[in-house]
Amino acid sequence: MVRVSKILIVDDDKHIRVLLKTTLARAGYAVVEAASAREALNAKGIDKPDLVLLDLGLPDRDGLELLSLLRADSPCRIIVVSAREETEQKVAALDLGADDYVTKPFDSDELLARIRAALRQQAPAPEAQIVRLGAVEIDLERRSVRRQGEMVHLTPKEYALLAALARHPGRVITHGQLLRTAWGPAQESQTEYLRVVMRALRQKLEDEPSRPALLINEPGVGYRLQGD
Amino acid sequence: MVAASTGLGLLIAPKWGNSPVDLLYLPPVLFAASLYGLRPALVACVASALAFNFFFTEPVHSLAVHSPADIVTMLMLFGVALVVSQLAARIREQARIAAANAARNATIAGFAGRLLSCPDANAIGAVTCADLSSLLDANAVLFAEGEMVASVPDDAQLTPADVAAASWVLEHSLTAGRGAPRLNPAEWLFFPVKSAARTLAALGLARGDGRPPVSDERLPLLESLLDQTALALERAALEREMRDVDSLRERDRLRGALLSSVGHDLRTPLTAIAAAAAELRREDSDKALVATLEAETATLDRYISNLLDMARIEAGAVRLKCEPIDLVDAVSAATRDLHRSLAGRSVTVDLPADLPLVRADPHLLHHCLINIIGNAARHSDEGAPIAIAAFRDPDGVRLSVQDQGPGLPDGGGDFDRFAHISGTDRTGGAGLGLAIVKGFTEAMGVIVAATNRPGAKGALVTLTFPEPLVLRDQQEADGARV
Repeated sequence: MVRVSKILIVDDDKHIRVLLKTTLARAGYAVVEAASAREALNAKGIDKPDLVLLDLGLPDRDGLELLSLLRADSPCRIIVVSAREETEQKVAALDLGADDYVTKPFDSDELLARIRAALRQQAPAPEAQIVRLGAVEIDLERRSVRRQGEMVHLTPKEYALLAALARHPGRVITHGQLLRTAWGPAQESQTEYLRVVMRALRQKLEDEPSRPALLINEPGVGYRLQGD
Repeated sequence: MVAASTGLGLLIAPKWGNSPVDLLYLPPVLFAASLYGLRPALVACVASALAFNFFFTEPVHSLAVHSPADIVTMLMLFGVALVVSQLAARIREQARIAAANAARNATIAGFAGRLLSCPDANAIGAVTCADLSSLLDANAVLFAEGEMVASVPDDAQLTPADVAAASWVLEHSLTAGRGAPRLNPAEWLFFPVKSAARTLAALGLARGDGRPPVSDERLPLLESLLDQTALALERAALEREMRDVDSLRERDRLRGALLSSVGHDLRTPLTAIAAAAAELRREDSDKALVATLEAETATLDRYISNLLDMARIEAGAVRLKCEPIDLVDAVSAATRDLHRSLAGRSVTVDLPADLPLVRADPHLLHHCLINIIGNAARHSDEGAPIAIAAFRDPDGVRLSVQDQGPGLPDGGGDFDRFAHISGTDRTGGAGLGLAIVKGFTEAMGVIVAATNRPGAKGALVTLTFPEPLVLRDQQEADGARV
């Protein structure tokens, strides 16, 4: 029997909670609600949700602070839902360990897609995975990449970037995280390197490099490998 | 004292002879010289000489002198009187100057102390006028920024000639008015109150009896006091400035709070509406109505974004956070966000693989592109193609968006006017969107232009990233790749 994933909705607006609950229940998830940071921490302990939909604008506690607390003890996926458009906020949330973010007002279908992507990452042994995305196949164990069955030669930096994204398909990895992974902490602000290598990767992997469908940019935040 | 010394001399002379007696006349001479100055000392000296001569030198009881030693004694007495009185006079003069300085410093310090407790320019003026008036026994006014700040007596009047003199002093930073070489038809004599940087005020002085209000020897004191006034006025001006900055900051904070609350409070219900609409769609109710609900919600959301952006531009609160940007990223993110409005439409994207990176703020650029591309979609027929292209040219990197709509009414050219075209029913909100494009591009140093497509129907909006915003060519950055 397939285990039903449990989702905790943390939002101080009642209507949003009701609607999200309806949408998620229809999609087959079990749903728990919390209207404040305090309720959220309680629910986290009692209900042990697989994923938290976290609104950063809570009345009783700073959202980013709550995010760290929720991440602290047991593993669970967190998708940040926020009306705030500031990219700093998104980057901070992702760097603190959020798996993804959705900006209000969001599209229900898109939200469901993000939830599926986030939950999929809970599958065990990510190192042994072969990630297939359309015509592209990334073998994380053998460190090889194929496109339409053909081996694609990548430079070490290109592979490092692609692998960092492929370990979490569909999830936004911030510019800073990518630069740290591929170049080391000293180069964390060299966004230019990232752009150059990303363009080279697109030339090798995308059907139409000027209209990327695989390597997706979130302006000012980071990149994601399109999952679906 | 001379008599006392003589008496004492008469007592001891018979026993020891005359030699100790002449020394007995030193004390009276010294005493007179040190206490009363040269003249009394000389008198004491002459009296001593006469007494010594009369009572002790041979022939006794006459003023005739026979012994050369006695003449030397008398001359010595004169010399001592002279030197000691000079020394003493100098010491007394120094003491007098020290006392005068102490009094002067006490006056200045007291004045400075009273100024320190003044909260503003009016109080400083009042203290200055009151203190100087009592110190100099004259009437006083303080004149600044074209008007009388304070005066003693309270009802002091300035004639037009006085106002002219005061204004002249403010401008030229020199003394003028009655008794001065300049503008002397005035009734008052005006002194500049100046700091290192500028003349802050003019102080007017006048006496009821028409005599000069300040003697020459008190001028330095007056100048010191006016320096204190200048310091106090500067301090008051600085404090006022700081209060102004504080209140501005508070206003900015409030505006920031308002902006974010508008963002949150408007968006939350919109989110609920959008989600509800999506539910309705699933429940198979009236699809056309639900589609309208969704589309209008999206429009409203974009409109709120634009309002917030506009408010940020107007408030000068646009913060730039520029980074190297691949226009491929920028264009694909914008078309992805616009996928609803672009549905069923062919959008061609022509971005060469060797296009240099540009430096821009990703968030602002994103909003610019959404507005430009969204506008192109709104203004052209459903299904009409939109072409996005970029290329390197001598001026920098150009990014253009072309549509096949009606184009600009007057051929375009001036983006400012384009940005203010009042919308018809189909272009509602366009003016605001384009004003935002203008504000954001200006902030980033990007040049925006709107024209009609040459030789075809439709509008052409071009963003030019001038040379300083273009990063060096890609090959040079390839070191990063390995």
